[in-house]
Amino acid sequence: MSHDAAGLPEGIVGHHFSSLARQNEAMVLGMWLFLATEILLFAGLFVGYSVYRYQFPLAFAEGSRHLNLTAGTLNTVVLITSSFTVAMAIHFARTDRRIAAAVCLAITILFALAFLGIKAVEYTEHFHEHALPGKFYAFEKVMIPGAAMFYTLYFLMTGLHGLHVIAGMSVLSWILWRTLQGRYSSRYHTGIELGGLYWHLVDLVWIFLYPLLYLI
Amino acid sequence: MSESGPSGQASAVLHPGDEQEKPEHSAIPYVVVWIALLFFTVLTYLTGKQHLGQWALPIAMAIACTKSALVALIFMHLKDSSGMPRLVFVTALAFLGLLMFFTVGDVATRFRPATPAGAPFGTERSQPEGLLEHETPE
Amino acid sequence: MRLSEADSHALAGAPAAPSYLEDGTTVMSWINTRDHKRIGVMFLVGVIFFFFVGGVFALLLRFKLLQPGPFFIDAISYNRLFTLHGVVMIFLFLIPSIPAAFGNFVIPLMIGARDVAFPRLNLASFYLYVIGAVIAIWGMVHGGADTGWTFYTPYSSTSPTQVAPILLGAFVLGFSSILTGLNFIVTTHTLRAPGLNWMKLPLFVWGIYATSIIQILATPVLGISLLLVTVERIGGFGLFDPARGGDPVLFQHLFWFYSHPAVYIMVLPAMGVISETVCAFCRKNIFGYRAVAYSSIGIGFVGFFTWGHHLFVAGQSTFVGGAFGLLSMFVGIFTAIKVFNWVGTMYRGAISFKTPFAYICGFLYFLVFGGMTGIALATTSLDIHWHDTYFIVAHFHFIMVGASVMAFLAALHYWFPKMFGRTYPEGWGLVAATLIILGFNATFIPQFLLGNFGMPRRYYQYPEHFQALHVASTAGATLLAFGFLIILIYLAIALKYGERSAPNPWGSKGFEWMTASPPPTHNFDVIPTITQMPHDYRTHEPSGVIRVA
Repeated sequence: MSHDAAGLPEGIVGHHFSSLARQNEAMVLGMWLFLATEILLFAGLFVGYSVYRYQFPLAFAEGSRHLNLTAGTLNTVVLITSSFTVAMAIHFARTDRRIAAAVCLAITILFALAFLGIKAVEYTEHFHEHALPGKFYAFEKVMIPGAAMFYTLYFLMTGLHGLHVIAGMSVLSWILWRTLQGRYSSRYHTGIELGGLYWHLVDLVWIFLYPLLYLI
Repeated sequence: MSESGPSGQASAVLHPGDEQEKPEHSAIPYVVVWIALLFFTVLTYLTGKQHLGQWALPIAMAIACTKSALVALIFMHLKDSSGMPRLVFVTALAFLGLLMFFTVGDVATRFRPATPAGAPFGTERSQPEGLLEHETPE
Repeated sequence: MRLSEADSHALAGAPAAPSYLEDGTTVMSWINTRDHKRIGVMFLVGVIFFFFVGGVFALLLRFKLLQPGPFFIDAISYNRLFTLHGVVMIFLFLIPSIPAAFGNFVIPLMIGARDVAFPRLNLASFYLYVIGAVIAIWGMVHGGADTGWTFYTPYSSTSPTQVAPILLGAFVLGFSSILTGLNFIVTTHTLRAPGLNWMKLPLFVWGIYATSIIQILATPVLGISLLLVTVERIGGFGLFDPARGGDPVLFQHLFWFYSHPAVYIMVLPAMGVISETVCAFCRKNIFGYRAVAYSSIGIGFVGFFTWGHHLFVAGQSTFVGGAFGLLSMFVGIFTAIKVFNWVGTMYRGAISFKTPFAYICGFLYFLVFGGMTGIALATTSLDIHWHDTYFIVAHFHFIMVGASVMAFLAALHYWFPKMFGRTYPEGWGLVAATLIILGFNATFIPQFLLGNFGMPRRYYQYPEHFQALHVASTAGATLLAFGFLIILIYLAIALKYGERSAPNPWGSKGFEWMTASPPPTHNFDVIPTITQMPHDYRTHEPSGVIRVA
């Protein structure tokens, strides 16, 4: 454990910042602004969901009942736990336990893969049942107006979320690499915090997607 | 914003010249939140299976909001952060609410014939099943 | 003037430091730069290029409209041209024009910083702009789109033209805009010089700050709505397709949730420019600083509550329409506060009628005229008559070309010596300004009349009795084009052969003049400490600055 500024990796403080603290503040604020744009990106889909749910309450209830609730719940548990492991990774990084931090990050990435795997199983089921969006919809069990719209929104929302899971996984892999290089410590851990923030946002979105799509 | 005192800053950022000994960072809140999140997941699963009718949505949303508040405050460190990240987060949610409010408000108060075909109150003939049948991929 | 030159030199430290223009002259030193000034200049070149591209499209449209019937371009090409004119002018010119070009250049100078908070992100923003532009151009070359820049479904999901690349281009450009906005917010929060608190912040920074908030909150919604149309086109998901229970009006809600606030992305920086230049050319501090600063935030905020006025005749509910009509009028309050304060600043000021001041006058006239017609349009009953007519076209051109482009030109002339250390010919500047202001009126006042007589927008043909007004409009557009060409020519010449300017040729006490013109790469040898308001002309001290030991 180094306790002096010289112990920090090279080039961490930009020439235009007066101090590391200032730079950290800037980075955290920048990340939150980016997360705000992510929230508003999903806002479009949540609003679309609300509008069509208002117009087709029966179809949405029926469609929701034919989703794989077990898989959805399992995925919720997986993502929540992965959020927890990322939080632990940051905790370990800032208390200078590098290996523990790396292990937590690795577990998180595995959880992300598990999430995608379960999602893939679900998608395969939908393909077999022809529970597909828009003009491809031919799911025999739910043939009421608006059912295709439910599946359109289901695929759009989970699809966009899935892309974010993949993006988050890539970010976490990169941070895992930087952790193994020993970049993060009690002196400097902003990078790993930002990666964690992104992953938590992915979790936040799913916390809302789960009840909206699977439960009601 | 005003409550962003030096104590709030210190846990999020570190000054290189800062020689002060920091209190040991604790992992207990994370474990507690994780267990709480799992509990709420079970709760929302169980209430969701009851099909509570008009109460289903408010209950599920209340649970989801509680869960996300826990994630945002503890996991995402909003509890210890300075005012700006909180303001940014709340503002983003407020504007999501704004978009939702007026758009759903429009659909809910609209002159009904202006609502698209296939809506539950439309006539049988305007519903899209016929279209769907002859356009199935098989 | 000479006095402030000496000041600037003293403050910039040793004059030996090479300017940002001389610090590396290879192509690589430009395309791989992290310097906010160079990125600003690259954006400036980009937006000016696309301004002329969009202008050529506009001229082609105007020349076609000389004849009521078919004339030298066919109907499909006409549809493509007005679409591309809109897309290029909005996404490639207006949105990045003042924030990305001038904002990048002067904001760090104004707040006494060495760079923006995230220089690499800033460069990424420029490259996203280039990539978005390339995708959009690819789409234009391979058939273009004929949906109008608004991409309304269900036509945009079924049109046989190349809508998808244009949508994708606009999507990427949105990301560029988000990154620029994000950078400015963080920069303003974390990189202000010692002593520069929020109530001393130059009003241009306030304007850009408010703009950035809009960019952060609104642009993602545009992103998702364009993405959804693309999915609709490629996948047939039916989200906005009435035949599958979809609601096209939902698309309009999502689209205008961005695109109405986008008007304030275009006009708030313009207002910031005017707040700076009106002080500099009247030798007077702004009248009512706080009112002008807060009204920027006010416009940014209220601008989000008005999008539904684009949907008055789209099948939107009457209640929501009424609410949006009322809310739209609130924007007028904040704008009026600003106009009042600008005029108040001029009152008993020592006005020097230079080219930028001519544009300030043009700006005020166009903003008030365009704004007043906007209040009228927010009235639902009147809007039913004017909706989708040339009246609308004239109204938003008054704001977006009238106001925003006037401010862009004011900024270009005001900051030209700052950016390039050269002066432009003042006489030609005034000639061009006169041509542009006259030409603009001649172009769009006939369009107000046409709209009121019932000429719908985006129509290829029209009844013969409208021809006189159309010819007048085309004549005006030609005049306008000559004005812009004159500017392009004399500025291009000035860039190379213009007289070397004094470091502060206007004797301005805006904070960006604290350093040399053109500034050195690191902006300041010593970060200044700010003790006064910007544009404090009461004393002969250099602009609010003391040297740090």
